[in-house]
Amino acid sequence: MKSVFITFNQAFTERIEFIFEKLEIKGFTRWVDVQGAGSVTGEPRNGTHTWPEMNSAIITVIPDEKVKPLLQYIKALDEINLEVGIRAFVWDITEAY
Amino acid sequence: MSIYKSAVGKPITTFMVFTAIIVMGLYSLSKMPIDLYPEMDPPYISVVTTYPGASASDIETNVTKILEDALNNVDKLKEITSTTSDNLSLIVLEFDWETDLVEATAEIRDAIDRVYTYLPEDVDQPTIFKFSTSMMPIVFYALTADESFPGIEKILDEKVINRLNRIEGVAQVAMMGQPKRMVYVDVDPNRLEAYNLTLEQLAGTISSENLNMPSGSIKMGLMDYQLRVQGEFDESVELKDLVVGNYGGNPVFLSDVASVKDTLKDKTLDEKVNGTDGLRFFVMKQSGANTVKVARQVQEEVKKLQSDLPSDVKISLIMDTSDFIKSSISNLSETLMYAFLFVILVVLVFLGRWRATFIIVLTIPISLIVSFIYLYMDGGSINVISLTSLSIAIGMVVDDAIVVLENITRHIERGSRPREAAIYATNEVWQSVIITTLVVVAVFFPLTLVGGMTGVMFNQLGWIVTITIITSTIAAITLTPMMSALFLRLRPRTVKGTFYERVFERNLNRLDNFYERSLRFALRFKWSVVIGALVIFILSISLMQFVGTDFMPQTDESRITIAGELQTGTRVEETMAVARKIEKIIREEYPEVVAMASSAGADDEGGMFSLFQESGSNIFNIMCRLNFPRDREKDVWTIAGELRERLAQFPELVTYNFETTGGFGGTSNTVDVEIYGYDFNTTNKVAEQIKKAISAVPEAVDVKLSRDPDKPELQVKLDKQKLAVHGLTTAQAAAQVRNRVYGLTASLFREEGDEYDIRLRLEEDYRNSLSDLEQITLVTAQGNKIKLSEVSKVVEYYGPPSIQHKKRERVLTVSAKPEKVSLGELAEKIELIMKDVDVPNEVMISMGGAYKEQQESFADLGLLMMVSLLLVFIVMASQFESFRMPFVIMFSIPFAFTGVILALFLTNTTLSVVAGLGAVLLIGIVVKNGIVLVDFTNLLRDRDVPLNEAIVAAGKSRLRPVLMTALTTILGMVPLALSTGEGSEIWRPMGVSVIGGLIFSTVITMVLIPTMYGIFIKKGETFKRKQLHAQMEGVLSNQISEQSK
Repeated sequence: MKSVFITFNQAFTERIEFIFEKLEIKGFTRWVDVQGAGSVTGEPRNGTHTWPEMNSAIITVIPDEKVKPLLQYIKALDEINLEVGIRAFVWDITEAY
Repeated sequence: MSIYKSAVGKPITTFMVFTAIIVMGLYSLSKMPIDLYPEMDPPYISVVTTYPGASASDIETNVTKILEDALNNVDKLKEITSTTSDNLSLIVLEFDWETDLVEATAEIRDAIDRVYTYLPEDVDQPTIFKFSTSMMPIVFYALTADESFPGIEKILDEKVINRLNRIEGVAQVAMMGQPKRMVYVDVDPNRLEAYNLTLEQLAGTISSENLNMPSGSIKMGLMDYQLRVQGEFDESVELKDLVVGNYGGNPVFLSDVASVKDTLKDKTLDEKVNGTDGLRFFVMKQSGANTVKVARQVQEEVKKLQSDLPSDVKISLIMDTSDFIKSSISNLSETLMYAFLFVILVVLVFLGRWRATFIIVLTIPISLIVSFIYLYMDGGSINVISLTSLSIAIGMVVDDAIVVLENITRHIERGSRPREAAIYATNEVWQSVIITTLVVVAVFFPLTLVGGMTGVMFNQLGWIVTITIITSTIAAITLTPMMSALFLRLRPRTVKGTFYERVFERNLNRLDNFYERSLRFALRFKWSVVIGALVIFILSISLMQFVGTDFMPQTDESRITIAGELQTGTRVEETMAVARKIEKIIREEYPEVVAMASSAGADDEGGMFSLFQESGSNIFNIMCRLNFPRDREKDVWTIAGELRERLAQFPELVTYNFETTGGFGGTSNTVDVEIYGYDFNTTNKVAEQIKKAISAVPEAVDVKLSRDPDKPELQVKLDKQKLAVHGLTTAQAAAQVRNRVYGLTASLFREEGDEYDIRLRLEEDYRNSLSDLEQITLVTAQGNKIKLSEVSKVVEYYGPPSIQHKKRERVLTVSAKPEKVSLGELAEKIELIMKDVDVPNEVMISMGGAYKEQQESFADLGLLMMVSLLLVFIVMASQFESFRMPFVIMFSIPFAFTGVILALFLTNTTLSVVAGLGAVLLIGIVVKNGIVLVDFTNLLRDRDVPLNEAIVAAGKSRLRPVLMTALTTILGMVPLALSTGEGSEIWRPMGVSVIGGLIFSTVITMVLIPTMYGIFIKKGETFKRKQLHAQMEGVLSNQISEQSK
């Protein structure tokens, strides 16, 4: 079991949903309209007049074998256009209820 | 759930909502009346009081003055004027605009009731009526006939007037110059005396013979018969054989002492249509009815009823005021269509995509149609003002949609799906779209608050632009994302590039680069740019003195009305002869005149028309209709000018006056000099002096005095003591004189349900000289006969025919019209002359007329600009949270006017209220562009872009949208500025001023605002943030250093 935390430009919302469906990932937790900025090239997403765009974040806990395809999809998504922005981070889940 | 998200999520609902709006708008449009201007009923109320038999000066002191004093306290009264003439007092009250006339009428009635008991006994109850422009006749017809002419009155009454009166919206159909049947009994006074009869006895006999009497009923057998004594004349010839007396045992017949004529009434009004006998009838519409609709129905009805008339009766149209309205509106609608096409073209050229263009252009009809709903609910009409307002708005309604669509396109090009792109891209820009809309509303909304006559026009502009802009914003954040989600696709870039990319895009890129270079150059020499701009501005202000001012542009309505006046007291026959000569000149030399009707003299029965036209036996009126302006080389003013020269060659003409508009009320075009003073002789002298001085000004034409020269009168001065000896009173003697000269209506002759007067009077030969008058026989109480000369003296006397008051004081007005110069210029010249006029102490002089109206409305406009500017400043200052940024933007506003002044100067157009409309619009566009530019520069500064780079990048990115707005508006105005059809004089100044102003202000916006920004806004948000950081840095490092200790 691993958890994958994805932050992404809102504009990717539907595609993320599509990927989850395709990989049969049912459980997730999502935060709509979150702020943030990329560490390297990512522009701030503040929802302000200066930086009007906004991100969303989603976290899902999935079996280990699904992590690789998920990251693959996300990378592919990011490569369509680097300006839009999406990142995924993976943690180990040690215990779960 | 935000509005744009719902719109994208429910495309069908969105589509249906907008469909519903369009259906409602189209319904409103189909129900909407067409008119020339918005309803501009001048708030006038007239009080008419008759005092039969009293002279002007009597009525002035006993009626007019008392009423004026009472009416002066009526609420919201602006000005009180009056004209007092023999038998009649006419008081006109002018109210402030938007006064409730119903309320005012009630108040006036109360005021009159309070003083009615103080008026002389014989005064009739004053009548009050609401006078408005809509009372001006809307259609004039001429009717000619040969053999049917004598009986035309009956034919007309039954077959024409009644039928036209039934049309909805027709208030009254009135006739001028119709022949009236009358049975005259012209008595020979010598024979009368010989048979020992009197005129009154004859009248008594006639009325007692011409009688039917129901006399009960008789029961005979089974039947009950009604009994009637039937004595009425069947034929007027029966009168001749009437026995009126007995002399020496022989009956005296009426024909022995008088001649009986069944004929037409003596003419005091002569009416000619295209030079032949005829009469005129005109249709007045009810106030509030639609001119165009009523006129159309009247025309249709007249066409139908023509077949019911005798074949020699011809009805021809002299004037249809709706013609001008219809062609003006259709001209303007055509230019509006061109504007729409141009907007589509511009959008297509700049965006280069069909689908995007379609989505954006869709907001235009929706926004415009919503304004129809407003107009319909407000009871408005499609008129020149509402249509020009729409043509102003047309270039602005696409702006918001473009901003939204461009952002959506950007997202799609970055790889988003159209649906998501539509939602999130709209989310990013919707706030700024609404704020720029608020700014435009801040400019236009104050227009809805303007009062007065200008207010009527500006209110509509204000509402229409406000409503269309708000609608366009709503459409931009709902319909545009919805449509984008459905129709926009990612377009792959081809290697070679499409036709569009090769032709337009390359040139647009070149333009971008050229602008970038220029802007960098300007930023290097900031102060020189600002100083240069100021120099240009000051130079343009100095050009202002060469631009004339007008209240409303004069329009060529294809009609000329000539009013001429001969020496007072001239017989109507003389007046007719002069009118004939002028008609001949017009007929022979001006083929442009297609119809002509003239009248001379006055109808003694008054009639509706006397309220609109001065009449008198010495006055004639010629009304000409010209062919369409596009079919002739000369305009009405040239023709009127030429005719004016011809008329100058008639020595018998005292004054003559040309009218080229049907306008009534505010649209007159005169400069008035008002001379207040009680003494007639003093004011007359001053007036003559002023008139002479003004006449010397070459630009002044139709110089007129409002007071007619004294009229000769014959006064019968009765000696009361001598009268008393004969047992007569003044009233009895006066009645007898009246019966013999004017006539006595003895009875009514009835035929086929109509009644005609039987009028007794002396034969004309016995009543047309002073000595004849003195020989008139009066019958005393004892039955003795005396001559009028025994008890009276007949003297000749001169009296003023009418006395005018303004502000309850006697006034005399000298008015002049401008020729080839503007009203403002003429007023200035006259004012200069007035300085040299020698004015006695008791006389006061002031300027008035259309010039005054013009100054008032320009003052209104000035105030309005101030309010608009203040509001714009408030909106901008709070949006930017800064005092400097609004200043940077507002600094560029005056330069828009530079363009207006230059354009007006170069095209030799005068500054009128309509051109002023254009100027207000410019403020809106300049400010809007300025805000978007400054806002984007701020944004880049916030993203840590260096000052000059931010300015250049922002300018470059805003260049295309600004150019689009400017181009759509300019191209939309080009048809307006170039149109030459009917009514184009009204909107041409606006087209010219907007084009000039916009070209100039676009350059200013794109160069001066960035330069000013560079000078004044050195420190942006970044600077504040850095200051804050420095502060915190200080605090924190102190803390850390203390911890480490």
